[in-house]
Amino acid sequence: MRCGVVAALLFAAATGSTADVATAPVVLAPGYFDLEYPAPTPGTYALPPLRVAADGELLDERGAPHHLYDYYGDRIVLLSFIYTTCSDVNGCPLASFVLKKVQDRALAEADLRDRLRIVSVSFDPAHDTPAALGAYADRVRAPGFQWTFLTGRSEAAIQPLLDRYDQAVFRDETGAISHILRVMLIDRQRRVRNIYSVSFLHPDTVLADVRTLMIEDDKGTP
Amino acid sequence: MRQSSVAAIVVACVFSVALARADETCMSPYMAKIVGQEDFVYVWTLGVVGVGDEQDKLVTIDVNPKSKSYGTVVATVSVGGRNEAHHTGLTDDRRFLWASGLDTSRIFIFDVATDPAKPKLVKTIDDFVKDSGGVVGPHTNYALAGRMMLTGLSNNKDHGGRTALVEYTNDGDYVATHWMPTKDNLQGAVKTGQFADGYGYDVRAQPRLNALVTSSFTGWNNYMMNLGKLMADPAAMKNFGNTVVVWDLHTRQPKKIFDVPGAPLEIRCAWGANHNYCFTATALAPKIWLIYLDDAGQWQAKAVADIGDASKIPLPVDISLSADDSLLWVDTWNDGLVHLFDVSNPHAPKQVFEQKIGEQLNMVSESWDGKRLYFTSSLLANWDKTAPTGPDLQFFKLYHWDGKTLTPAFSIDFLAAKLGTPHQMRFGAYALYGEKPPAQVSQN
Repeated sequence: MRCGVVAALLFAAATGSTADVATAPVVLAPGYFDLEYPAPTPGTYALPPLRVAADGELLDERGAPHHLYDYYGDRIVLLSFIYTTCSDVNGCPLASFVLKKVQDRALAEADLRDRLRIVSVSFDPAHDTPAALGAYADRVRAPGFQWTFLTGRSEAAIQPLLDRYDQAVFRDETGAISHILRVMLIDRQRRVRNIYSVSFLHPDTVLADVRTLMIEDDKGTP
Repeated sequence: MRQSSVAAIVVACVFSVALARADETCMSPYMAKIVGQEDFVYVWTLGVVGVGDEQDKLVTIDVNPKSKSYGTVVATVSVGGRNEAHHTGLTDDRRFLWASGLDTSRIFIFDVATDPAKPKLVKTIDDFVKDSGGVVGPHTNYALAGRMMLTGLSNNKDHGGRTALVEYTNDGDYVATHWMPTKDNLQGAVKTGQFADGYGYDVRAQPRLNALVTSSFTGWNNYMMNLGKLMADPAAMKNFGNTVVVWDLHTRQPKKIFDVPGAPLEIRCAWGANHNYCFTATALAPKIWLIYLDDAGQWQAKAVADIGDASKIPLPVDISLSADDSLLWVDTWNDGLVHLFDVSNPHAPKQVFEQKIGEQLNMVSESWDGKRLYFTSSLLANWDKTAPTGPDLQFFKLYHWDGKTLTPAFSIDFLAAKLGTPHQMRFGAYALYGEKPPAQVSQN
């Protein structure tokens, strides 16, 4: 089924939901399908900086501390905030699906492979321990591509980073998580250049933007 | 496995809405939707000389029938002056409500997440004109992914109608200005008809189609002028927008300029998976227009229905498209009527219902299920009627719609309550933030 931005159709990924919601059809986000329009031509449009990308101390898959800035500067970065137990098909699984497509394309195109990195940061450190993230990484990361997984020491420790990236995460009284999906494009000057939400996250448009930044870098555009 | 606390998520937004099941149907597709009972309506209200504190204010009304304060004003936040309060919009995460002033070009950002019952003013943007490079009159505050797109109505060179889209981060930091295409600078857009006026008013997105659609009204010189004086000024009456522009959403580049004569105002885009169209209504030439993708994949525009009796100058203002794209509510300000059109065939809308709501009628917001309609009365400070005085002059009203009749639920006389004159409405709900209303919490 091809679908689009259909607000009238609701996801069934619900807890405690009423019957009409539970039986509502699941409508997959555009990122799961072919783009319905021609992808923009890289370098023909502007991606004005949105904000300075924030730094923060996180743990890698082995539990070693790193600054987020350790992964910025040398490459263009796609930053995604996730939690690995997210079951909403148009949430973190969508981000993983699209970013895996990006990874596949990068592995097939050497210039992309050598100039792009994906960084996925978990905002659920209680569950997403370094070891758990490592296991998750093994399922999505392909050899030869730089895809880094990071987590926080605690929810409290990671909250300032979420605030600085304007990443909303809510927990209800049961502790269940809800969040707004965002993937961010970060240039080599450590600036956020685009933000992708569920109806906007597609490998074709993301890669057009990445290549737009690559063209900027090649021209030496500040 | 832990499961996301999603009781109802709308495709376009990936934002959990625990047990929240209602919202107006005309919001950004990037935004979380409440598809059940809303708890609050936030009303951006113009301050009026001699009424209360005389300041513009955000008025919070409890609209949850299970609440003890149902039907009453539970909070007001005054902003320290009068700015020609007009439209508001929520950020894509619904944590902040942006409310702008057409006269002063100030933008007020309210936190509506920390306590949905008591919005708090957390930031004021005072440098909109300077930052944007001369845009005046911020109107629509429209959520895109992680940012807000604002439409201007005017400019600081001649205070006429040429203007721009202005982009901000959700934090309120300026990002970019995108000037409307004009006949002198089409910016690569195709001018399909007579006009390329560069005017602005509303903006809506169709992300699936990579389309951004803008409409056109008039500049500061006109919207701040007394209505009687304006209508008696033939030269001024020529300075109204006659265009709709379709933009490339991703690149922010204008693509096609359409003649839509008579000041096309609000834009509402269809939600359906294969519904490739938006509606607008022209204020000065009372018609519904369809902006649509044709079978060849080309955007087109055409008038599809008349609204009221044009000879009586009904002045169509706000419109609201139902969640299933089958019905379009149309307010006409001058006669205070709401019209309901069956738009199941968007190329041939048919009026199926009409009812008088008040002496004047401007905004309409409907719940996601279409069962509740909220109305307000005020258009512009210098255009509003001042008589006959009474509860039907400046009001907030809730009606219930059962498919055949509109039944009044409650009304608040904004002048008698010393609040001002009510304009734009937005919905709020505790469940958006994983919370329950206090009463429900105490019962558990």
